[in-house]
Amino acid sequence: MDKEYYKYFEEDLVDRSLDKSQKPEDMRGRLVAFAGAMVIAFSVLLGRLWFMQVMDGPNYQKLAESNRRRVIPIEAPRGYIYDRNRKIFISNRPGLAISVLPTVVQVNKEVLERLAKLTGLSVKEITDKLSEKNADPLKPRIIKRDVDKRVVAYLGEHQSDFPGVDLTVETIREYPFGNLAAHLVGYLGEASEQELKEKKSEGYDMGDVVGKAGVEKTYEWALRGTKGSQQVEVNAAGRPLRILKSITPNPGHNLVLTLDLDLQQTAEKGLADAINVARQGKYKKANAGAAVVLDPRNGEVLALASYPSYDPKLFLGGISSKNWAVLTDKSSGYPLNDRAIMATYPPGSTFKMITAIGALSDGLTTPERVFVDSGTWSVFGEQWAKKCWLSSGHGSIDFISAIAQSCDTVFYQLGYEFEMKGGERLQYWARDVFGLGNPTGIDLPSETVGRVPDRKWKKEFNKEYPEYQTWYPGDTVNISIGQGDLLVTPLQLALSYAAIANGGNLYKPHVVRAVVNNDGKVIYEVKPEARRKIPVGPEAIAVMKAGLGRVTRDGTASGAFSGFPVPVAGKTGTSEVQGKDDFAWFVGYAPADDPKYLAVVVVEQGGHGGSAAAPVVRSILAKALDIKEESMIKAEDISR
Amino acid sequence: MIDLQRISRYVDLPLLVGVVGLMVYGLTVLYSATAKEVPGDPYAYLKRQLTWAVLGIILAVFAAVINYNRLRNWGIPLYLGCITALLIVMFFGASELGAQRWIDIGPFRFQPSEFAKVIIVTTLAAQLALYKGDLSDPKRTLLAFAHVALPVLLIYKQPDLGTALCILALTLGMIFAAGIPVRHFMAIVLVSVVVVLVVFNFNLLRDYQMKRLIVFIDPDVDPLGAGYNLLQSKIAVGSGMLFGKGFLSGTQTNLRFLPMRFTDFIFAAVGEEFGFVGALVLIGLYALVLLRAIRIAALSKNLFGTLLAAGIVTMWLFQILINIGMTTGIMPITGIPLPFISNGGSALITNLIAVGILINIYARRFV
Repeated sequence: MDKEYYKYFEEDLVDRSLDKSQKPEDMRGRLVAFAGAMVIAFSVLLGRLWFMQVMDGPNYQKLAESNRRRVIPIEAPRGYIYDRNRKIFISNRPGLAISVLPTVVQVNKEVLERLAKLTGLSVKEITDKLSEKNADPLKPRIIKRDVDKRVVAYLGEHQSDFPGVDLTVETIREYPFGNLAAHLVGYLGEASEQELKEKKSEGYDMGDVVGKAGVEKTYEWALRGTKGSQQVEVNAAGRPLRILKSITPNPGHNLVLTLDLDLQQTAEKGLADAINVARQGKYKKANAGAAVVLDPRNGEVLALASYPSYDPKLFLGGISSKNWAVLTDKSSGYPLNDRAIMATYPPGSTFKMITAIGALSDGLTTPERVFVDSGTWSVFGEQWAKKCWLSSGHGSIDFISAIAQSCDTVFYQLGYEFEMKGGERLQYWARDVFGLGNPTGIDLPSETVGRVPDRKWKKEFNKEYPEYQTWYPGDTVNISIGQGDLLVTPLQLALSYAAIANGGNLYKPHVVRAVVNNDGKVIYEVKPEARRKIPVGPEAIAVMKAGLGRVTRDGTASGAFSGFPVPVAGKTGTSEVQGKDDFAWFVGYAPADDPKYLAVVVVEQGGHGGSAAAPVVRSILAKALDIKEESMIKAEDISR
Repeated sequence: MIDLQRISRYVDLPLLVGVVGLMVYGLTVLYSATAKEVPGDPYAYLKRQLTWAVLGIILAVFAAVINYNRLRNWGIPLYLGCITALLIVMFFGASELGAQRWIDIGPFRFQPSEFAKVIIVTTLAAQLALYKGDLSDPKRTLLAFAHVALPVLLIYKQPDLGTALCILALTLGMIFAAGIPVRHFMAIVLVSVVVVLVVFNFNLLRDYQMKRLIVFIDPDVDPLGAGYNLLQSKIAVGSGMLFGKGFLSGTQTNLRFLPMRFTDFIFAAVGEEFGFVGALVLIGLYALVLLRAIRIAALSKNLFGTLLAAGIVTMWLFQILINIGMTTGIMPITGIPLPFISNGGSALITNLIAVGILINIYARRFV
């Protein structure tokens, strides 16, 4: 059967149409060329494959791995911030952020448009974020942080409409006290290109959040913690399929501030009230101010307030360009500036403390010296006569009363005597002893130094105007009452007075007491540090304290402190700024005989120190000393 | 018992082993590349391709059993049928990815340009056989080109540059086998080079065709656009290294980084999962099949058979070279499937019919 089958087949194989005249063998030579072509082609392919797979294989393998593995960093929760009484001041809460895979979304116009609609960002804002230079196109990029529940729910329901879009959990700052001490705490934001460059070695990456101001910035190293990560396998659409490796983040350390939240609240409220009161009265332009409360014994900052303030919540999830424009606009009074350490003002009469103690120490005067004030001081001639704030004059007045009454004539005279003595001694006291014109070294960013004018400065400053370069005796006289070109920050002034209150130590101020890890162990402590011992004898300090004590008793602030149960020492100031209403100052410490609290308040264009600033200091000191007071006192003051 | 010796008188067993080897290899790789394509049914693509294979084998047996010499008489109807099918595609065809290449018949989708290749091989062989090895008159060569011009144009217009080029390539192979004077052949090759240069300079290609060619020259131009395919395919092949990542373990393939991973770029999956060794085996199988086909061309008792076999050899060689070449970045990206490996029914059936024709010629070598 087998045989028959093949037989049938064989018969069919007989090709009856075969053309016997053709000799295909003739083409055999050419067929060899086909085999040759094949050998060449396959050799080329195998050579290429050898090169790619064997020689260059490891490189391609690395590329394949980076294709498939995606390291998703997990932000470490930032450390908490506590006040001096270990009250939780700043904490965290979970928030959801929208992260986007640039390679997938950038090319998909529809997804971009949907995202824009969902997040309220514009398509351009999103693409700008995704195409930032230095950004790794294979890494997910967060385009919006702290999105609300509605958006999260929508994304969850419409996942298939948003390929390459994911939600990630982050910790977000929580501000249980709202705006309180916003300047001191500072705010967070995505690291700028510059910051990234500086901090690359510390493991910062594009899109990381860093402290931009306040202690969030200065203590970034402690608060930040260490990032964790999750290595996941993803498919080409960027969808994670499984976790390959996971490292949990280490939360940041916690800060314990020197700040007392109650005092801070009192200071901020007092400042706002004082501005309101001033505006209701004669001083309509009052719109800003600052307050500093210190422990004069060690330089710990108990409160640091600046008005106007801002809402740190605006910065959560990245501040919108609209809000940023408002916060940095002149018309809103630059609320981001921490006026307590960044604004410089002429100190006015509060500077008389330095003039007085310098004059005593340099032997220009004795505490017993009696001056005569006719209301006018005309040592430079009638045409250059200068007036005391009290136009009728203080008559015969001794040195200590001159401090209490803030008699300008006496201080013009002392300034003139400094000038006559030579050697720029008044500047020496201000700058080299009390540290004006120098940074205080506080642990906050962006401190300004103010200015103590002298001959060298004047020449330099008026480089373009030779006619203004000459130093006149009148310049020194102006400094002696805290005017002229003298500029100080409220914090500098507070520390100068603290040096008197504590008997001679000029401290380096600080707002952080300790950095504490999550087991409660102190890993970094800020100890009181005296920058210098001021070269003033105890007698001179005693005289000064006596003068300052009389200010609240029978001097320029006696109205503001009438009926206050604890003796307070202090000094008023009313400084003149060209083109503006007077700036009101008051520095005070209490108890006068054993100082524990020192407060400085300045109200821009608020009028007189005794009426606009001293009542705020009174309410702060009352709070600090636990004295109950109904409301802020109203006081009159016409002194300068 | 099966008498192998007796069977091998009628069937070229090494050729058959090579083809079966390629199909098994192809289905294995296809499974790996498509297992996650249809949720819940990892065998969806495999089953479809197997169906096509069975249909192809039936048609191959048919092509092997009828006397191939009769095909000469069917030349004109075959040619007209081919042109008609291509015209139907042009006017009523289904579109995909910007090209109109398919005809839907019920649930099945055919690609006439694939069948056109083997039809043109047949009709062109019939024409060239008439010249009895004498192509010294250039008119005959021109007539041969005239023969393929219309189908090539219709296919190019679909647009399917790859298949159009494939037909031109097999035409070149066949006129060479048909005895064209070497001088003439060299002249044609020279003209082709000039034509390619002109096409480049005068922008006669469609945008995406131009882009693919440019990307071939520099894949980093646009790594996420046109260069993406090539880059991912090179990563896949390269990362396979010597022994590959193993069956179903190719990350590029299974995580879908590789575009067109079961059609035109399936060789990247081969390279990734089976490495250089696997690629060597694949190319070895191709070498076996092609060498046996060349041997059949030589064994044929008539010129028609020789030319048929030569056409088939050129067709396969061209597709293998261009496909693996583009996957590894040494050839421009043109949509050409890898014979017996790429997913697609029309191509598989066409290739199996070609195998049937080869066996047919082999069986009639003694007559």
